[in-house]
Amino acid sequence: MSRQLIIQRRLTWTVKILVAIFLLLTFRLAWVQLVRGQELAAQAKDIHLRDMTVQARRGMILDRNRKELAMSVSAPTVVAIPPEIKYKGAATEVARQLAEILGQDYQKIYQTVTKNGSWVYVQRKVDFARAEKIARANLPGIEIIEENQRFYPRGALGSQVLGLAGIDNQGLEGLELVYDKYLRGEPGYLQVEVDAVGREIPQATHKYILPQDGDSLVLTLDETLQYLAEQELEDLMASPTAPKRAAILAMDPRTGEILAMAMQPTFDPNKFQEYPTANRRNWVVSDTYEPGSAFKIITVTAAVAEGVVHSGEKFYDPGYIRVGRETIKCWRFPRSHGSETFAEGVANSCNPVFVTVGLRLEEKQQGLFYKYIRAFGIGSKTGIDLNGEATGQMIQEDKLRDINIATISIGQSIAVTPIQMVTMASAVANGGRLLQPHLVKEVIDGHGEVVEKIAPRVVRQVVSPEVAEQVSLLLEGVVAGGTGSGAAIEGYRVAGKTGTAQKPGPGGYQPGKYVASFLGFAPVGEPRLAVLVVIDEPQGVYFGGQIAAPIFKHFMEQGLHYLGVPPRQAESQEQAPPVAVPPVMNLPPDKAARVIRSQGLEPVLLGRGEVIVNQVPGGLSRVAPGTRVLLYLGQTGDPSEVSVPDVTGLHTRETAELLEMLGLKLEAEGSGQAVEQDPVPGTVVPKGQGVKVRFAEEETEPALGP
Amino acid sequence: MLTRKDLKNIDFLLLAAVGIIVAMSLVVLSSAAAGLADDPFYYTERQALWAGIGLGLVIITLIFDYKTLARMAPYLYLVNLALLGSVLLVGTAAKGAQRWIDLGPFAFQPSEFSKLLLIVTLAYFLARRQGRLNRLRDFLPVFLFVVPSVLLVFRQPDLGTAMVLVVIMVGMLFLAGANIAVLGSMVGAVFLALVLVLVGHFHWGLPLPLEEYQVQRLVVFLDPYADGMGGRGAGYHIIQSEVAVGSGYLWGKGLGNGSQSQLEFLPEPHTDFIFSVVGEELGFFRSAFLLAMYLIVIWRCLEAARKARDDYGALLAGGVAAMFLFHVLVNVGMTIGLMPITGIPLPLFSYGGSSMLSNLLALGLVLNVRVRSLRTMF
Repeated sequence: MSRQLIIQRRLTWTVKILVAIFLLLTFRLAWVQLVRGQELAAQAKDIHLRDMTVQARRGMILDRNRKELAMSVSAPTVVAIPPEIKYKGAATEVARQLAEILGQDYQKIYQTVTKNGSWVYVQRKVDFARAEKIARANLPGIEIIEENQRFYPRGALGSQVLGLAGIDNQGLEGLELVYDKYLRGEPGYLQVEVDAVGREIPQATHKYILPQDGDSLVLTLDETLQYLAEQELEDLMASPTAPKRAAILAMDPRTGEILAMAMQPTFDPNKFQEYPTANRRNWVVSDTYEPGSAFKIITVTAAVAEGVVHSGEKFYDPGYIRVGRETIKCWRFPRSHGSETFAEGVANSCNPVFVTVGLRLEEKQQGLFYKYIRAFGIGSKTGIDLNGEATGQMIQEDKLRDINIATISIGQSIAVTPIQMVTMASAVANGGRLLQPHLVKEVIDGHGEVVEKIAPRVVRQVVSPEVAEQVSLLLEGVVAGGTGSGAAIEGYRVAGKTGTAQKPGPGGYQPGKYVASFLGFAPVGEPRLAVLVVIDEPQGVYFGGQIAAPIFKHFMEQGLHYLGVPPRQAESQEQAPPVAVPPVMNLPPDKAARVIRSQGLEPVLLGRGEVIVNQVPGGLSRVAPGTRVLLYLGQTGDPSEVSVPDVTGLHTRETAELLEMLGLKLEAEGSGQAVEQDPVPGTVVPKGQGVKVRFAEEETEPALGP
Repeated sequence: MLTRKDLKNIDFLLLAAVGIIVAMSLVVLSSAAAGLADDPFYYTERQALWAGIGLGLVIITLIFDYKTLARMAPYLYLVNLALLGSVLLVGTAAKGAQRWIDLGPFAFQPSEFSKLLLIVTLAYFLARRQGRLNRLRDFLPVFLFVVPSVLLVFRQPDLGTAMVLVVIMVGMLFLAGANIAVLGSMVGAVFLALVLVLVGHFHWGLPLPLEEYQVQRLVVFLDPYADGMGGRGAGYHIIQSEVAVGSGYLWGKGLGNGSQSQLEFLPEPHTDFIFSVVGEELGFFRSAFLLAMYLIVIWRCLEAARKARDDYGALLAGGVAAMFLFHVLVNVGMTIGLMPITGIPLPLFSYGGSSMLSNLLALGLVLNVRVRSLRTMF
């Protein structure tokens, strides 16, 4: 055999070996990636979880002007990695230094840092000064992480909308839940390694992979409007009307942005355990009610759009109307409205008129009335960014009889949600365009950069702008000279409709239980606010026109002023020479009002409190005589003096933030939760004064091994 | 000197496969090494620079006939020992081993070149003994020839490269026509002895000239969870690597998206464990494609050996093939739990200047052998 030939034969062998080795590698690769892939991918996630998870700082929830409604306050926590300390042989030194900085017993700390387990809490929620000292000491096997706690600085404000977040940074209810994936961020990990590979000599070491903070939400809610709405409701609950519950919904008809969503009774999310669970329910979205006459807005719109009636057409109301074998009474029965035009019938909320036009629609084409009801979004979810939204209840279309058409025409035998009603009214106000209501305007990151923008979404054009305008005029008539006159606001064109409905229960309507409401918008033509006031089970007087309309008026008036919507001005005043607005900041309201009036201007007091904290237009600016000057009331007395808040129960960090906000100095003693303070809450002290707060130690958490 | 006809013999398939491997290496490094330096492309740029220099050197060396190396073999042998010796004397230590010679802007790793130098010199040594390798006695000079280099590398310590040198020797002996029975029983005996020594070490505390962590790594791949610490000791990185590769599925998680690779669960993601990054971020199909590229490279080396005009050229190309095959098998095998962790790089792919240069030069020699193969036939 020649030499060359031997090599050739060996090469042939080698090619076979080569192919065999590559097949082996490929099969093993396929086995690991394709067969065991699922299991190993699950393990890839699991590997993070074996070590300590450090929660990210949860994003904030801000109102439309970026005022904080929900925020996370963080506190440093000291964590030890006992294996690393043991490996470095530094247990005594670490324990000595920690005991000194934390002011704790050496033996206790020594036991903690030599515990079994891959990591252990040394102390949670340490104050910043001490945390920094520890960080600077650069001790082996000691890491400082941030732990967060949810805090709602405005207390109960908008609480049902904001919802709640749990201690593990998870959204539980409301916006906290719906937008959880934005708010929660990416958790970090404290990973404890026992061995390294490649060419390294094994050594115990740990790695801290920092968490990524969550994004923040900018809501469509306006903190001031929300506050005004909640004040109205609070007053209502305390009045003789004392209903079971009540709500105010305010929406910008041009965009579908919810500006206020207030409910009573309510709760403070900072101590939600102290309130009944029912208070947390966002019932304007999840519960339905019979709307009564407010629903007639749809009846009017459908009738005008289909041309089955014109506003001058004459009707005669005998006080009731017969439909088949049944009789529907007008609310005025046994009296009647007699002869009236359609426009007057709308203003009078006259049942026989609405029943008549409702039946005409059905006569023109079967299912026509339902088509309009559905087009306004009744019977389906509005798509608002909250969970648990109800669709409402409607009689099945194939079972619909004339008597049902008749009762639905006046808002009975149909159940809707408050959010559906205000969305519907917004569509009428906004030239017939139905918009999707929404609560979040923008998602922003930690630097305030916009990550996502939520644009207004048009659902459909329900009726033409001309029809919507005609309906607006008819509804303006309701406020100008009809059942809704209680909602009239001087200087503004307001449209609206009252509603009073008996509450249905098992076996028919329940005697003495009503839902009173008022639904409307302003200014007609250039709408800025669509508002619904719902009062559930009022005591005594129960007509929407009498109890809901005044609240609507008061809220709408303050709202329009706040939004800077100019009132219609009488022509003569435009010629008068301008006058200077006197500065009235910090004056008591009655005195401020006198000063303003003395200049020929009209004071408008807003909010509540002892002194004026803000005024629009500002002091010394020149305006036409008769101009309204808006005066905002607030609690602040002498600006150099503040009332000491109650800090007991708050953590060190929260206390520091709260006192700083008020211009007070924290003199802390110990750390943990505040248990004692001096001066006592309510004491009025000059700004800059120190407040002594004693904090109680918290128990160190037990070690958690992987 | 080269003629135009010779240029037609350039193996373009081999060049294409090498080009694809290097390109993939640069892409993967831009993800795997992004977090290792301030500049995320630091490693990618350096690797590209070395590949460029390597390519230039290959073109220059093509001008000379590989036969020249045979004449220089004795000197090259001494150069190799001198370099390895100097590492032990003046080398810089890193990660517990002394393997680099600091040359200012970069560090030079002689053990990477010792593989190439061994192939070049051993091919000369064996070519003259070809056909006379039938008894164990005939093998002895070959062992004596190789042992000094192996011992010097082992002293660094660099167990992986020492093993590569031994495997190159066995592979070249096989190609040179060594008696199969003798060679086979010799390899078998060494393997058996290794197993016995390890068993002896673990059961009766037999002392070994290795660090305990090195011994652990040799055996722990058999069951990474049985490392005495429930998979958090020596088995930790095997588990991490298998998890990384396995979670890649068919198409991978995408560059920069592998949680195992990016969150530093993988050790040395830019060198020893770079194939785990390929598996996690690029998935099964692309990983298998990369393996296919290596298959082509090694197959073309064997083709060059088959067509070589003389035994020296055949052994040269065959030695390079053996080196590549062992590197790929052990490196890829390590990341998927087939092989012990030895810390040898994936050729043309793992980050490293010395390794990239020596591997490209080795393939340059293969091209050289191929280019000059058919001349004798005309």
